[in-house]
Amino acid sequence: MSEDILVIGGGIAGMQASLDLADMGINVHLVESLPSIGGKMSQLDKTFPTNDCAI
Amino acid sequence: MLDVGRHPNIDLLAYSEIEKVEGQAGDFTVTVRRKARFVDESKCTGCGACEGKCPTIVSDDFNEGLGTRKAIYAYFAQGIPSTRTIDADYCRQLNGKKCGICQKTCQADAIDFDQKDRIVELNVGAIICAAGYEVFDPSQIPEYRYQEIPNVVTAMEFERLLSASGPTGGHVDRPSDRAVESEIAEFEKKAKKSEKVVANFEKKYESNSAEFYEKFQSGQYKDDKDRVKWADKYSENLVIVESLEALKKKAETFATAKRLAFIQCVGSRDFRFYPFCSGYCCMHSIKEAIVANEHDTETTSTIFGMDIRAVGKGFEEYKIRGGNNSAISYTRSRVAEITEGQNSNPVVTYEDTRERKIKNQEFDMVILATACAPSAGIVDLSKLLGIELDDYNFIKTSPFSPVDCSIPGIFVCGCAGAPMDVPESVAQASSAAERAAETVFQYNFNKEKAVA
Repeated sequence: MSEDILVIGGGIAGMQASLDLADMGINVHLVESLPSIGGKMSQLDKTFPTNDCAI
Repeated sequence: MLDVGRHPNIDLLAYSEIEKVEGQAGDFTVTVRRKARFVDESKCTGCGACEGKCPTIVSDDFNEGLGTRKAIYAYFAQGIPSTRTIDADYCRQLNGKKCGICQKTCQADAIDFDQKDRIVELNVGAIICAAGYEVFDPSQIPEYRYQEIPNVVTAMEFERLLSASGPTGGHVDRPSDRAVESEIAEFEKKAKKSEKVVANFEKKYESNSAEFYEKFQSGQYKDDKDRVKWADKYSENLVIVESLEALKKKAETFATAKRLAFIQCVGSRDFRFYPFCSGYCCMHSIKEAIVANEHDTETTSTIFGMDIRAVGKGFEEYKIRGGNNSAISYTRSRVAEITEGQNSNPVVTYEDTRERKIKNQEFDMVILATACAPSAGIVDLSKLLGIELDDYNFIKTSPFSPVDCSIPGIFVCGCAGAPMDVPESVAQASSAAERAAETVFQYNFNKEKAVA
């Protein structure tokens, strides 16, 4: 039995899920295969429809 | 991103892969391989001094191969964790050559060439799979001539060209022009080297190369081996200088791309590849066209598509605003082919489906709105997790439980389940987080009940 949660993938979805769980007080293990988290979204210059900076 | 790195409840295992998953909801045992970075994460301060000294230059994946990085690198500047990684495929030291410059440079003593992969075992109650997606490779569509015509790029490549932190600092320089510029740099290096050789001869014989060469051509010094070499080297130098001048003259006319074409549904809504609509491509083409116009107000864009699908909060307004304020024209059409015209300009041949006419139009650059393809490692990962995939290799879910996988205790969010944009990914991630927390709390509650 464990109360921890594993999140596979550190893109925008994985990061958001991890933060939500961590804020609930749950221990999260976030596994990402690349050297840095951020995923495809970190490659984007801006995001629609507000033209906010992606990072 | 920074919050994830700092949160006390998040154990960040970057540069790691799942090896084995056993157990069931409430009690999974997961084996994770922590790949060797050859840099001690706890010691590295992220100063980047090693990167400055590393002699090995490698194509940069983060910039879609449009830029370069070193063999010791940060995946991108603001990357979390802010530590460097050595690319074992390219590092000289790790490939048996003599180097180790990074190790000598590092003041924190963080470089460890003997580092090995580590296996970590985790015990978790639930799993969220957010494995993402892959950009469709448009070279599978031969008529678009991606990679054959340098100025035909994917939307992700164009995104890097637009980015201020990208390889061009946010200037939309055409790939064909950038290729010429790097050729010029190469020729300049060559010219410098050959001028040095020629200058040495001039010093040795205390005479001008041009005068000597004239004499040499009129038949003098033919038996003097050293002077023959001089003549060879001088003529070589002349050829280099001439090519360099020609390239420089060509480069004078270079300007950033101002006439852009966006081609929609590249790989999606196409029965040869993916019949589904990827959902976000219409919007990112509009966004890129708007941002390009912000960078340079002379930029005009034409978006070629069957229709523009602006489904989402504020999306339709964004589309109209783009058309009114950012010189975007939407052309309802089907693109048949892209060919290369004069000056490396791509020419788009399309059927205007409103006028029912075949037309040709020349552009400075063509951007392909590529489909959302399933993640490359998803088949292996699904086998490890024991979850089912759908016909296209996205994770299978049902319409009434869109974040539940086929096995209890495993949830999915983001593009691993289906193509979706950022706002939808975020919403689904919160939903998956809640479902996973529910699983954990439920098992915890049952455990407490059993004790009582």
